Amino acid sequence: MPPTVSIQNVSKLFNPGQANQVLALKEINLDILPGEFVSIIGPSGCGKSTLLRLIGDLTTPSSGAVLVNGKPAHQARLDQDYGMVFQAATLYEWRTVSKNVQLPLELKGIAKTERENRAKEMLALVELAGFENHHPWQLSGGMQQRVAIARALVTGPQLLLMDEPFGALDEMTRERMNQELHHIWEQTNKTAVFITHSIAEAVFLSTRVVVMSVRPGRITQVIDIDLPRHRDVTTREMTRYFELVNQGREALRRAEAGL
Amino acid sequence: MAKQTTDQTGFSDVAAGVDAVIPARKQSWLQYYLPSILIFIFAIVTWELFVRLFSIQEFLLPAPSAIYNSLSLNLNQLLKLGWFTTKEALGGFAIGCSLGILVALATARWTIATEALMPFAIAANSVPILAFAPILNNWFGVDNPVSKMAIVAVIVFFPVMINTVRGLTLVDANALELMASYAANQYDVLFRLRVPNALPYIFNALKVAAALSMIGAIVSEYFGGNRSALGVYITQEAAQFRFANAWAAIILACIVGITLYLIVLTVERFAIPWHPSVRGEER
Repeated sequence: MPPTVSIQNVSKLFNPGQANQVLALKEINLDILPGEFVSIIGPSGCGKSTLLRLIGDLTTPSSGAVLVNGKPAHQARLDQDYGMVFQAATLYEWRTVSKNVQLPLELKGIAKTERENRAKEMLALVELAGFENHHPWQLSGGMQQRVAIARALVTGPQLLLMDEPFGALDEMTRERMNQELHHIWEQTNKTAVFITHSIAEAVFLSTRVVVMSVRPGRITQVIDIDLPRHRDVTTREMTRYFELVNQGREALRRAEAGL
Repeated sequence: MAKQTTDQTGFSDVAAGVDAVIPARKQSWLQYYLPSILIFIFAIVTWELFVRLFSIQEFLLPAPSAIYNSLSLNLNQLLKLGWFTTKEALGGFAIGCSLGILVALATARWTIATEALMPFAIAANSVPILAFAPILNNWFGVDNPVSKMAIVAVIVFFPVMINTVRGLTLVDANALELMASYAANQYDVLFRLRVPNALPYIFNALKVAAALSMIGAIVSEYFGGNRSALGVYITQEAAQFRFANAWAAIILACIVGITLYLIVLTVERFAIPWHPSVRGEER
């Protein structure tokens, strides 16, 4: 199977040739296969967000190539091949919940009735049925982030890019959101790239965890999460889960030490 | 506001037990405005007593009752003068605000042009534009209402343009990135993101412009013009020591100015019900 995302020897240099030149990413190689859930963890400033933005063609590599669905990342963006979720929900406050979810469809020029139906479907998927006509400011942080996920899914992309989507949520809400995100991933069979600071979150959600180190950002370890594909509350009580979390913590410690 | 109440009620039904809370506090109209009304009455009564107790000369400060008498006696004439001046204010408001918004929209596409022009716009905004009134009177003819409209238009143009540009450019970086992630074109970014984002800024500017337009129209009339105008009437009555008449005209101008402001405020409530400054009052 050809990879959904193929990162080939990618380096990213910020402010090249200037005094504040920074090598944010160094010779990254990573293939992500269809249906995988890959989490990227690493200390702050290791370039994990930059890596995600490279996949989304929101920034370009200084060298190397990024392919999405076998195409250059730029073409994939033009084709709306992925949906993106940011740390802030980034809902437009002048739009209702349904209208926010419809935005990507509007940009594609889809007719109104179909837009509304698909928004309704997606909101049901993230368990927000009945909230179509509410405004973002009437929802809690967790609910807003679920709207953002519905918006990312509404065009039916095979690839979901998420940049610390639950970073701003409290622990309880976060665990519930993890559960729901897993449920959505399991149901829709998407490929997901997920940036996080939380090892527990990464292990719970992923099929693979990529550990990055800082200055320059590079991949130091890839941990295969050999838990059953289906995850639920009992997953967090499994011995193997604890082992993997510990393994991740150890890898992160080594990454922070620059090893 | 009935719509919002329904929304909130509907919401708490659906969300009962869910992690969201909407603070709802309802006040009656009277409860809300009662303190302001009491202060107004108190001020008028104090003014009246002050003038009577200390026998203040009318040319210094006429009593509210004297102003009221003048107002009711000359009401027909005053209304006619007021309407003439209001038309100038409205014309200038419409021209100045439309041009301000259009120029801002045009510059939104060319960031470099905006950056080059903004210092000049801000400098022009702090120039006492009324100083140009005699010149504009000369250009368009002192008796021609267009000369007054031109002054009003120039006065309101800059705050409207500067605020609109601000609203079009001060857009959340993530919101722009979201558009980029969907490969949205310039047109979509402008009309689906930048313009809605600018609306609160535009309405703030329009509120300022509403007040400015009446001031501009009257002061421009101080420099001469058609005798059937409020500003000309005020200068003439004052020159002939009929100060109660001048005050009556000033009060009328105030009422018109406040009315224009309230009209903009009402339109704002319907246009951007989602904005915190509008929905904030519901909390």
